[in-house]
Formats: sequence, C-alpha cells, structure tokens
Amino acid sequence: MRAYSEGLVLAVVALVGLWGAWQVPAASTGDTWAGIVPFSASLALLGLASFMLGSTAFAGASKPGEDEKQPFPGDVIGLFVIALLYQQSIRWFGYVLPTALAAPVVLFLFGIRSRVGLAVSVILCPLIFHILFFELLGVFPPYGEVFDLLDWIKG
Amino acid sequence: MEIFPALLSVVTDPTLLAAILLAAVVGMIVGATPGLTASAAIAMLLPITFYMSPLFALAFLYVIGKSGRYGGSIAAILFNTPGTAASAATQIDGYPLARAGKAGKAMKVATISSVIGDFMGDILLVAGVGFIAAIALKLGPPETFAIYFAAFVVIGSVIGKSIVKGLASALLGVLVAMVGLDPISSEERYTFGSFELSNGIGLVPLMIGVFVLGEVFSQMEERRKSAGRIDDNQTAADDDSLTWEEYKPCLPHAFRGGLIGAGIGVLPGLGSAIAAFISYGEGKRRATNPQQWGKGALEGVAAPEAANNAVSGPSMAPLLTLGIPGSTIGAILLGVFLIHGIQVGPTLFLTDKELVYRLFACGMLGIAAYGVIGYFGATQVARLILKIPTNVLYPIIFLTSFVAAYSARASMFDVTVMTVAGFVGWLMRRHDFNIAAFVISFVLAKGAEETFRQSLLMSDSGLLIFFERPIALAFLLIGCAAIAFRIRSIVKERRIADGELGDA
Repeated sequence: MRAYSEGLVLAVVALVGLWGAWQVPAASTGDTWAGIVPFSASLALLGLASFMLGSTAFAGASKPGEDEKQPFPGDVIGLFVIALLYQQSIRWFGYVLPTALAAPVVLFLFGIRSRVGLAVSVILCPLIFHILFFELLGVFPPYGEVFDLLDWIKG
Repeated sequence: MEIFPALLSVVTDPTLLAAILLAAVVGMIVGATPGLTASAAIAMLLPITFYMSPLFALAFLYVIGKSGRYGGSIAAILFNTPGTAASAATQIDGYPLARAGKAGKAMKVATISSVIGDFMGDILLVAGVGFIAAIALKLGPPETFAIYFAAFVVIGSVIGKSIVKGLASALLGVLVAMVGLDPISSEERYTFGSFELSNGIGLVPLMIGVFVLGEVFSQMEERRKSAGRIDDNQTAADDDSLTWEEYKPCLPHAFRGGLIGAGIGVLPGLGSAIAAFISYGEGKRRATNPQQWGKGALEGVAAPEAANNAVSGPSMAPLLTLGIPGSTIGAILLGVFLIHGIQVGPTLFLTDKELVYRLFACGMLGIAAYGVIGYFGATQVARLILKIPTNVLYPIIFLTSFVAAYSARASMFDVTVMTVAGFVGWLMRRHDFNIAAFVISFVLAKGAEETFRQSLLMSDSGLLIFFERPIALAFLLIGCAAIAFRIRSIVKERRIADGELGDA
C-alpha cells in the first residue's frame, strides 16, 4: 500500500511537471525549446512512477514488515502548521511579536514544562535573534503589514 | 607547489586562524551531537557568511565539514549512536571498546586515523586538482553534459536503499531547479503566474529547509519513539593512554583506509559512509585478528575513520574543476562560491587560483586543529554534548532556520520556501527517498541544462552528438554501468538475505 501511494504521488507530480513543461512556448528559430529539460525530467519521473506502480501490482502482497504501520505523525503535522502560521504572521506582524509567541509554543511541544523557562523564552528568543541578525549582521528586519511591535517599541 | 605560499599566507593571518579554530570546535560539537549533521550546521550558518570575505566564508564552512565528519566518531564510540552516517562503521568496534573501558583509547585512535586519512586526501587533492582542471578545460559541452549525466545517475542510484527512489529524488531536484525564468530564452517555467516564483527557488532556503527544518521535524518524530535521552555508557575507569605499540598495528589500516577514501571521494555522490564501510570490510579481510573485529579491535576504528575523513579533500576535486559537487557539503560550498560571484569550474584555476590554494591550506590547518583538540579534548566535548538539552536545542534550531532563511535575501518568500522544503525533506526521509540526491541534482540541474542545450545547438544530428564523441560516450556508459552494478549488488544482497532466512 505504501509503495503504491508513493508511486501514485510521483505519477501526479510527473503529470503536473509534463503539463507545466507543455505550457512553455515553442523555441524561436535557431534556439532550443526551453521546456525540453523539464519535459524530459517529468517524462523520466513518470516512467519511474509507472515502474513503482507496476512492480507493486506485479508483486501483489507486500513482504512482511514492508508495510509496517507507522503511527500518524500528529506532532510533526502540528509543528508544520505552527511553522506555516509563524512565517505568515511574520508577514503580518513583523519579526518580534510572532517569535515571542512561537518560541514558548515550540519549546512546549519539545517537552519543556517549566513556566519560568517558557516565560523567559518569550523575551529572550526575539531579543537574541533580533540583536544577532538585525543589529549585528545588519539584515533589514521584515516589516509587519498589519502591526509591527518593533516599530511601536522604537516609537 | 602553490600550496606552500598559500599555507604561509594563512598562517600569518590571525583572524583566519581564529576562524579555522572556531570552525574545528563547532564542527566537532555538531558532528558529535546525534541528530545534528555538519550539513545542517553549514546550511544554517550559510547566511552569516554572506557578510564575510569569500575565503573566510569558504574556509569556515569547509573546516566545519571536515571537523564534523571526525566529530561523528565521538558519538559513535561513546553513545553507540553515530553522529553522522559516515561514522556508523566506527561504532561497530568503537562502542565495544568504550564498554570495555577503553573509550579514551578508541577516541585517540579515531583522531589519529582521521587526521592521517584527511591529510592523505588533501595531499592527493592538491597534487591532482590542477591536472584534472587542465583536462576539464579541454572538454566541450557534450562531454561536460555526459559527466553531469553520469553524476546524476551515480548520485541517484548508488546512495540509499532504492535505486528507483534515488533516481526519482534526483529528478525531483531537477524539476524544482527548473522553476523560474529560463536563463537562455527568458521564458517562464512552472511559475503558474507567480512573480515570486519567476525568480526561481533559492538554494539557501531550500538547503536550510531540507537539512535544518526537516531535521527538526524528524527529531520531533524521534522524540515520540524514544525517551530522547542519550545515556553515557557505564564503564569502569577509562584507560585513556595510547602507546605507539598499540597504534602500530592500526597504521596500515589507516593508510589503506586513506587511499580507499581518497579514491571514493573523487567520485561524485558515493560519500564517506560507503568509503568507511568498504575500508572496514577490506581491513577485516586483511587483518591478522579478524575474530577480534566487531568485538572491540582498535584497528576496526582506524580503518573506517581514516577512510571517511579521506573523502573530504578529493570530493572537492569535481566541485572545483567541473562544478559538480560530490556531497551535500560540496553543494552548499558551491552555493557560497556563487553567492560571492565566483564561477566554479575549470576556469576557476585561471581566475582565482590563489583563493583555491588558500582554501586548501585552511583545510589542512583545520585538520591539524581538530586533531589537536580531538586528541586532548574529545572526552570533554562528549561531556559537553551530554549536557546539551535536546528539548531546548531543537526549538532554537527551529527558530534559527526562519531567521537564517530570511537573512539570505531579506525575502519572506524564501521563508515560505524553506518551510515547505522542510516538510518535503521530512517526508522524503520518512519514505526513504534520497535527500542528498535531491539537493545535489537541484544544484547540478542548471549547468546540465545549459551544456545539454549548447550541445544540441552544436549538433546537426540531435542527440547523436553524445554518442559520436568518445569521452561523452564513455561517461554515458559509466552512468549506465553504475546502475547495472547497483542492481547486481542489490540482487546479490537479496539472495544472501533469502539464503540466510532459508537456513534459519
């Protein structure tokens, strides 16, 4: 089942790749088609996906242990959702506020239960990263479109 | 002979020496920490190096890579957990030695052997790289594309458990690299109308995502499976001293391992883990005490350690002369070269020869630095690692990956790319796809495409140009032979496994 679903996902990616390559306009005279490499790579990927699907179907029942049921990675999915929300909230609220909120949440997910530790992370994490990257390295901090705590602090 | 003035100029630069020393310590700690890799550390530190001079940046990351390979042996010997894949072979004899109260002895053997292997690799690199570059200058686009093709196939098929998944990973890397404007015709590819995608997918956010955030996701999953705490082995008082009489039998294994590692290092994609296992197998075959191997033989530590470190130098040869990175660390270093506006390839030895040899000199000094620190301080490094609370470390790495990805180009789009790449990297690891092949192919794809299309423009006979030119044909055949050999070895392994099951 696992090999079958992997083959299916690869086949879908390859078909999207083929469709995307097909959208590339034809080459002008004396030039090569810009879609030739994406098209060839997608075609090769489709071939590999077909091989995976074919060999799974041919082999029938999978070998013992091959389809070992893995537990649903809820923690990882949760962390990924936090990562998505964190990067989006940086766009909306700048760097400082989302980092102050994300730090204790991620520490909690990794098993930190000390209230003092979590509270300290709210201040220390944005402060240290801000000083390191935006003050010392001179990187221009991301500006929050909706509200920026750094702007407010700086008055 | 260019290496001697280069060495002199590096030795007389205290800032550079301090950077090498710092990189040796950082690499050792990162390599020795289970779950952290030198690739992850280099990817994370990459944005910081934008603000350094090219030599400083390259030397810093190059030495972290070297020292990180060595650092893996500390975790393998002390915690029975290889810090890197390359040190898994060291664990076979290293951990039994530690259990027998000889951890200090084993770590000293690992340090000396790593230094021997690494120096052998670097000397061969310095001696041979100019020669390879001179040949590379004479290659035309069809030959260069055929080398790229062979690299794709070898990287995709040789590393990892499955050839199909390895090749699929390489093709996925190529497809992701195609996103953006075509560099020749400026036609949009896979942009789906997005302006941000028309700039393409950045190397730095992709690397940070796959190697750093992906690793954090993996550690989150691992945390649930295990208690998460690494226990130091309970041994009697350690016998730390190592005498010449004890190391003498290890010396031939270290030299043989060094040669095996250096040979494998030149071939893109094979990497240090394969070198270490081949050297271990070969060492055991030739050993006078094969029955002791696997139960705690010092020679069983020397052979793989020399080999996995000897890979480091020669793996730079295809990168510097052809622009083909042989490892993930090489792929990241290629990014550093490009970020600093240095074109990697045969012409590098005409335009920036001094920089290249100064980089080699930094590498050699880095070996000496981690050798001295490791010989006298590996036990202290191990104690330090045991004190690092992983439940604090990984959240910090998580937060660092975001700010590091942003810092590369001050782009929030890069942060989104990094987040998605992290999840994809974790999924690929979970499903046994080959992330090294994915990243290396991503880096190689643009160069391969350029040479492929140049070849087609040169040719009246289309794809036949690759078969009409002998060198190009030879490399295409090497690629096909790599797949054939890999299939043969997999079939052989399965037969042995079936035989063993049948006997049971």
